[in-house]
Amino acid sequence: MTLQSQRESESQSSMCEAEHKNLDSRLDEYMSKDTRRTVYELIQLMSSLSDTRRAIIMALAHVYPKSVSGVQLSRLIGYSGKSRSLYRGVLSQLQEDNMILIDQLTPKLYAIRINNEHPLLRVLVEMCKEFGHDARKVYTRALEEQ
Amino acid sequence: MDRMLRRARALYQDRQRIALAALLVAFAATSYVFYHAPILKLGGEPPASLPQGWVEGFEVVYSFNTVGFILAISLMVFFYAFWTWAFLPKPAVDYTVGVLQGIFGRRVKMRQYIGKKFRVFLGANRFIEVACRIRSPGSGEWFLYRIESSPLDSDSLQDIALRHGMHVHNGRLQTWVSNDELHHRLVLLASALSSLQ
Repeated sequence: MTLQSQRESESQSSMCEAEHKNLDSRLDEYMSKDTRRTVYELIQLMSSLSDTRRAIIMALAHVYPKSVSGVQLSRLIGYSGKSRSLYRGVLSQLQEDNMILIDQLTPKLYAIRINNEHPLLRVLVEMCKEFGHDARKVYTRALEEQ
Repeated sequence: MDRMLRRARALYQDRQRIALAALLVAFAATSYVFYHAPILKLGGEPPASLPQGWVEGFEVVYSFNTVGFILAISLMVFFYAFWTWAFLPKPAVDYTVGVLQGIFGRRVKMRQYIGKKFRVFLGANRFIEVACRIRSPGSGEWFLYRIESSPLDSDSLQDIALRHGMHVHNGRLQTWVSNDELHHRLVLLASALSSLQ
């Protein structure tokens, strides 16, 4: 009795493995394993960020390769505080973690853009470029109207 | 912001007000105590060209009483600064410990250090350090955390840091997180650590 059940469970597990392999090969057809891992890590990272950080990353990824100033960015994401506190807080932390790049143009004017060298954000920028036409229109129109 | 942190903020602000009020009262009391006593000269003669009233005024300022008064005030300010540096309000401690225990389990070895620091020991000489800042001076953000790993030795440290949204500082993975990100980003740090094993 026990032998039989053991055999049954063995055959079940082997079936499961076969199914997994089948699934793997089907997934590989349209997305390689490396890409899937990067997308997984990207989702993990994005879901771990706070609302403000997420909004900044998404906006900057869509308007890439354009850069925006601090005031433009704080209006774009609907930030209620002063843009100076945005610089000293969230933006400097994002820069420290190499997610965004900040160039100082004049003592008071900064150009903020996403870091396209970042292994995960590069993929995000690529995806935004490919599928994010409509969202980009919204963002650029908002930038022009300011 | 979490309910407990909101309570901690209210508590902290209340205590700050009480401390400030106490400081004012203590300031008045110390100035009374130090200048009510007879004035002790520090030595050195004032120039003879000064009028008598000025000399008497200077004698009050330039005296042992003033030295004592300044010492007493700086001691008070020092204790106030130490108090804000060292202690986190209890609800904020509960929140932080709760988040840490939620991720690493209730039985994990954890220590709280003076200076608003927590250290979680993960075995094999590895630990995670969580330091809290009640109010960030630059942005005015409440309860900002800095999370940091123990020193790590790996060739791919930089890549792993980037892929987990962190940076490398002195061979440690490090990042600043706001209080609502604390749980998620600690999970990321823990998974980065286990991927290095």
